[in-house]
Amino acid sequence: MQEITLIGILISTCLMVVAKSLLALIRGFRWQSFFLFLATFLIAWKEAQPSLYIIAGLLLVIKVVLIPQLLYKIIKKIKVGQGLGLFVNTQLSLFFVLLFAYLAWDFSSQLIVYGSHAQAGIIAIALFLVLVGFFLMVSRITALAQVVGLLVMENGLFLLASAVSGGMPFFVEIAIFFDVFVSVVIMGSFVYRINKFFTHIDVDKLSHLRG
Amino acid sequence: MQIIFILGIPLALALAALLLRRQKTIGLLNCAGYLLMLVQSVSLLRQIVLSGKTISLFGFICLDSLSAFFILVTAVVSFAAALYSFGYINNDLASARISEKKARAYYLLFNLFCCSMFFVPALDNLGMLWVAIEMTTLVSAFLVGFYNTKHSVEAAWKYIIICSVGIILALLGTILFSYAFSISGISKSLNWSEITPFANTLDKNILKFAFLFILVGYGTKAGFAPMHTWLPDAYSQAVSPISALLSGVLSNAAVYAIFRFGIIVIDGVGIAYFSKLMLLFGVISLVISGGFMLVQKDLKRLLAYSSIEHIGIIAIGLGLASPLALCGALAHIFNHAVTKSLMFFGAGNIVNLYQKHNLNAIRGVLKAMPFTGVMLLLGVFALCGFPPFSLFISEMIILIAAFGANAYLIAGLLLLFLSIVFGAFIYHFGKMLYGNLPKGMAVTGQCLSGKIAFLFLFLLICAPGIGLLFMQKDLIWFVQNLFPR
Repeated sequence: MQEITLIGILISTCLMVVAKSLLALIRGFRWQSFFLFLATFLIAWKEAQPSLYIIAGLLLVIKVVLIPQLLYKIIKKIKVGQGLGLFVNTQLSLFFVLLFAYLAWDFSSQLIVYGSHAQAGIIAIALFLVLVGFFLMVSRITALAQVVGLLVMENGLFLLASAVSGGMPFFVEIAIFFDVFVSVVIMGSFVYRINKFFTHIDVDKLSHLRG
Repeated sequence: MQIIFILGIPLALALAALLLRRQKTIGLLNCAGYLLMLVQSVSLLRQIVLSGKTISLFGFICLDSLSAFFILVTAVVSFAAALYSFGYINNDLASARISEKKARAYYLLFNLFCCSMFFVPALDNLGMLWVAIEMTTLVSAFLVGFYNTKHSVEAAWKYIIICSVGIILALLGTILFSYAFSISGISKSLNWSEITPFANTLDKNILKFAFLFILVGYGTKAGFAPMHTWLPDAYSQAVSPISALLSGVLSNAAVYAIFRFGIIVIDGVGIAYFSKLMLLFGVISLVISGGFMLVQKDLKRLLAYSSIEHIGIIAIGLGLASPLALCGALAHIFNHAVTKSLMFFGAGNIVNLYQKHNLNAIRGVLKAMPFTGVMLLLGVFALCGFPPFSLFISEMIILIAAFGANAYLIAGLLLLFLSIVFGAFIYHFGKMLYGNLPKGMAVTGQCLSGKIAFLFLFLLICAPGIGLLFMQKDLIWFVQNLFPR
């Protein structure tokens, strides 16, 4: 069962990489967060930990419902085109993703000396998410894609934390969730402002400050 | 007990900024509050250093002398910034650059920003430390984009995105640290006070990777080159008192985080690994910032690059890692914070009067603003490391330590770039401070609160420089007590 959720995370990540429009990117993120929720929920069920149930619930509310809704609302309001603006086209992006998968696997097998094979797999997928998130941030032009890339990196870290140390302490986890949500709200407000002043949200054209 | 005051006062002041209507009252309350905090933090440091014990509260706050020292630096700079803000915001209101409502929003954000920075050295839990540092980014992004112009919004966006990526890498490092601790089978915790005593039983391989991520992650926030690209933009666009806080406190908060993890790594992996990395980042920062300062055209960006340079020197001091070098690095943190705050305040006055940042277009500052001009002139010499100012002493200590550790290459590079920076500063500021008064410009003075802020900082620039000559033994004793072994 856990393997299915992990494969779901992988597939939704690849969907995000080949997405050419903002809506598709956010849809991919929603699926990814949903599978992450399933994975956490399964662990909570297996280990019968009430605190993990709460964390899974927060994940569902914040990352599957609230954040995508917020992003959709921003897109509707600023009325820019749906295009992501790709620095790297989708085929080449997929090749990069393959490379990241290999790197993540290699790194995780170096890191894990005592852990089980399954654990190494989860860590590899988590690091893979971090790399892909970073890749999305640098290879997509719109400001919103950078926000989504950041969220993907964060999802990767969430998975990593639950894989390697059975999750962070409970209140740290809650604080991080709160933090992520606030940061998306604040970044959203800056996307509005960028749109207001520049009438676009393309970060490659933000180049007034130099040297 | 003092720590409750220190963490509570900014929150109370933020609440006051929400509730009170007149911004002048809020500004005055701010000054009083931060003065009280300064007194409290001095007494906290005194208590911890004299008793030699750590203070922990509720299992989530833990203070040793290192944390108390960083709290003191934060308190000094934020007190000066509160004083300076009072005059600055009044001025902005009078010239109708901001509305009364916006002035209240400024004080709210100012206090939240300071509050999150006071939490950073006070927290025990490394995960919460991460949350506190992330909060500083989120709050200060608004202060960077405060004037809501094209440039400031661009700067704020770069700031928030680059620092968020950096901070995510730091979280990755923190998770790896907690993994290293949890597989060692001692207990499952993220409190540094519990991890540090067992540092040498942790898995070396994981610690190495973890520290790499921590260094790159928090290093982005501290302003190490080559992750510094957000820094000149943010410093130059932020409100001037906030530029001082960003440079004097925020980067130090990140340095604190790096050093806190560094202590664990020094024990766990060995001093060589820590040294190599810190020296590497320190030297890169020096080289890059020195080059940019020579060709700089913007006043506040020049000061921003100088902050990168000084962070580089601090990194070198920490990287040399002998007690003498650490003593130099800590002294440098304090000295740089006060000197750079003074410079940013002066730059803020210039920008307000001339309404431009361009170094080539500003002339005759000494005539237009006699008080600010004199302070800036002295500040430039202090910043370049002239005796008897304090930065000279701390740079000297770091140099002596470098020669003592046979790190001739590092010492040579440090000397070379210090002289390059000196040239750049004298060239740029000489042109700007001297010269004739521009036509149609009236001579302007500085308001009382601003004057107090300048004089307070100037006193702190001079006093440790002279005092250190006589108190070196005490300082080394203090540094040796930082690491209970």
